[in-house]
Amino acid sequence: MPEARREPNRKGALNRPPIRFGDDPLLWASWLYYQEGMTQGAIAEVMNASRPTVNAYLADARAKRIVDISIAPEHMRTISIAKALEDHFGLDSCLVVPAQGGARTLIERLGNAAAGLLPHFVHAGDTVAISWGRTMLALACAARLEGLEDVTVVQATGGTTAKIAFAPETCATKFASNIGASCITISAPALVSTPQARDILMGEAVIRQQLAYLERLDCAVFGVSSLKPNSSIHGSGLFESVFQQYDYFDQAVGSLLGQFIDAAGQPVSGPLAHRFIGLTLDELLKVPTRMLVAGGADKMQSILATLRGGYVTMLVIDSDTAEGIVRALDIRPQNRLALVRRDSEQAAPAAPLRLSVKKFLNEPRDAVIEAMEGAIAAFPDYIEAIEGSPRAIRARHCHDAGPGKVGIVIGGGAGHEPGFLGYIGEGLADAAAIGNIFASPPPDRILSCTRAVDQGAGTLYIYGNYSGDVMNFDMAAELAKAEGIATRTIRTRDVIASWAFVDRDARRGTAGAIFVIKVAGAASARMESLEECERLARKANAACHTVGVALEPCSLPETRRPSFALEADDLEFGVGIHGEPGVQRQKLVAADRITDQMCDQLFTAMDLQEGQRVAVLVNSLGATPMLELMILNRRLQKRLSARGAQIHTTLLGHYCTALDMAGASITLMALDEELVSLLDAPCKGFAWQR
Amino acid sequence: MGSQSGFRALETMLQVLHDPVMDVLNADFFADFFCLAADRLEEKRHALCALDGAIGDGDHGSSMAGGFAAITRALRQQNPTSAAEVMRIAAQAFLSEVGATVGPLYASGFLEAGRRLQGAEPLGPGQFGLFLAGCAEGIQQRGQAAPGDKTMLDVWLPAAQAAQRAASAGAGPAEIARLTAATARSACENTAALISLRGRAARLQDRSIGHIDPGAASGAVVIEALCDTVLSRLRHAGST
Repeated sequence: MPEARREPNRKGALNRPPIRFGDDPLLWASWLYYQEGMTQGAIAEVMNASRPTVNAYLADARAKRIVDISIAPEHMRTISIAKALEDHFGLDSCLVVPAQGGARTLIERLGNAAAGLLPHFVHAGDTVAISWGRTMLALACAARLEGLEDVTVVQATGGTTAKIAFAPETCATKFASNIGASCITISAPALVSTPQARDILMGEAVIRQQLAYLERLDCAVFGVSSLKPNSSIHGSGLFESVFQQYDYFDQAVGSLLGQFIDAAGQPVSGPLAHRFIGLTLDELLKVPTRMLVAGGADKMQSILATLRGGYVTMLVIDSDTAEGIVRALDIRPQNRLALVRRDSEQAAPAAPLRLSVKKFLNEPRDAVIEAMEGAIAAFPDYIEAIEGSPRAIRARHCHDAGPGKVGIVIGGGAGHEPGFLGYIGEGLADAAAIGNIFASPPPDRILSCTRAVDQGAGTLYIYGNYSGDVMNFDMAAELAKAEGIATRTIRTRDVIASWAFVDRDARRGTAGAIFVIKVAGAASARMESLEECERLARKANAACHTVGVALEPCSLPETRRPSFALEADDLEFGVGIHGEPGVQRQKLVAADRITDQMCDQLFTAMDLQEGQRVAVLVNSLGATPMLELMILNRRLQKRLSARGAQIHTTLLGHYCTALDMAGASITLMALDEELVSLLDAPCKGFAWQR
Repeated sequence: MGSQSGFRALETMLQVLHDPVMDVLNADFFADFFCLAADRLEEKRHALCALDGAIGDGDHGSSMAGGFAAITRALRQQNPTSAAEVMRIAAQAFLSEVGATVGPLYASGFLEAGRRLQGAEPLGPGQFGLFLAGCAEGIQQRGQAAPGDKTMLDVWLPAAQAAQRAASAGAGPAEIARLTAATARSACENTAALISLRGRAARLQDRSIGHIDPGAASGAVVIEALCDTVLSRLRHAGST
């Protein structure tokens, strides 16, 4: 616990809480009482408040549910992480901003939070340097300070040449005008062409005067740039000319005040050395207050390097990135909340780790081929092997299809049964290429499916958007083209992710593929052209949204071990269909509450409006029985009718699984007339007939 | 293998005695390398699957072991005579067997390596960086990953650079091999601090931090097998 601030307060009232509590005295009091275990008397002293006030705060905190376990863990979590980072890096203070939530972007929220901290450390008469970048501009725009005399803002580095919105000069002038300070800009570029040019410029009296301000800084406010291709440093024009020749990934992981640093935060010398004009990293270390404002998973490495280099005394960061750092360093936040909770909720003893999962297997490596042979034997009216290969399967109806019908080839790894071979047949796909468990089929197998269904009208590939499938299908498409078969590709992307920065193109495909295959198959059965089949499949793909939840991991035949570890009372939210962990781990709650959470995300992602017609797929991920799917569906239908959505059709069962994973996914497909008619068309696959 | 590898070793020794520097990285050398890599990947099959289970779907060990086993089978059947031919066979065998994500990536890597080896033979023992650089280039072209994306490229690229830099700095073959293997090992460990930006692990974003990338781990196994094959050849030739 850092010492409480005892600076004289204008009203002679409360001490200001340490930054990590925001400006919330209730949270501060709660922390001291429940986490630090202090007495109310001691807290009164720290807060500069009376004992009855503290008592009232604690009561208020309970009334406002700040210490209720359903809300408090989120607060406590960010504070715990902040404290862990403060302790580990010897920071004066750290503020962790929630990574998700609100309409504002992460950068805006970081800038806003940092701006709110300015009164804590900017005082009358201070000289403050500010660097540049998106986050700094957000901070500069959000900054407001009233009534501080004689504050000077200095541009921390020279300028950039490119016309960017967040250039050094813009950030400094905006910041200065918003906090009523005078502004010193640097009339030189941050990077000059030669060391000689630098010496000449630094010799100029005007520039020397400007740079002199950097020698008497009270605070420096800065961001850090990653060197990833999406980083703003690439658009800045700052390093454009040297970036290609600079072997940066060798050592450098980030750029701090326009200077490269390695993973330990040490300056990396290179062709840029002695050509930089501005606050050097050595000079930065001498500034008393140094605030880093940065966040986002892609900056993780560079933030860590900056912290390791000791450049930071105050940190403003988002919770995901902060948690990532804590995990990477294996420093565990002291979560005494767990001890508090144990009073009311006795923690169950950990279940003995299950080492092996029982399965019906012969030689595990033969599992896929044996399963496909069994499937072909079971459903001879629907499917048959192509040229004797049970992993290239086509529909029996192919024999009757006349020339000019577009071929639909689907495929992917095994382990999703009845996906995907259950969806070949009349009105569905024509052939499926099947890979190893959860692994894409190779190009030659996809090619033999393509040849088998080719009727001279081209072939449409439909598969999940995974890098392995993309590469193998693309190679197959090249081979098919060489044989004169035109192909088009639909990569299904129905999984919605809670990560704001994951765009639709990066989304994965899961159970929604079934609707896409149905639509494309119906279009192909109507003898539509390749272009029209592609358009309709693309439309169906855009209309599908899926979210999945796992209660238990799955296990692969070869390993027979759980693919990840999940505590007895945890669930994984946002899983796919490959046994991989989800986007978020959380406590297991009632089925209706889980369904609500899934609905919330789905409704938002698809912007579900009253009157919208939808198709519903409640799908088991393997081990979850029909009974539980029905329980989920009960709540789902309630939520849909509360929203005023019209349920056109509901599928419920094992449609697209992840081996023996316990869990379920919900897919909603937004329908219009065109999609309805295709969805309602007859079809005959062994997993779906209508 | 057995007597066959004994015969190969003898043959190599005679070759080296005949010409101690040139033509060591021939078809036999790469066939031996693929055998050793296949053995090591088979040993690590479950460990790699477990690593993959933490951030991916848990099949990586099987894909790699199965793919390299297919390569050694194909090489035995087809008995290639040049290093470039070895690479073409390896690419085809791996891709047909595995598919998955690693199939196209390694196939593209081997094909590019084959293109670079074509016409560059005979190769001295210190020139295996040419193979590594080819693999790295092919993998990058096919997968479009960038350095630092937490993929196998984060091992192949530094290893290739280490080998080529050491060679151009005049280091001896044994030293280059040891340095390259060490670089691959540490580059593999360094992937734990990175965030997955490619493949299935990318959905985990920062939850992937703290885990070594399975593709990088198997890449390091393959590169170490290459370096060990070089060292073993040099030992047979009595010139460590």
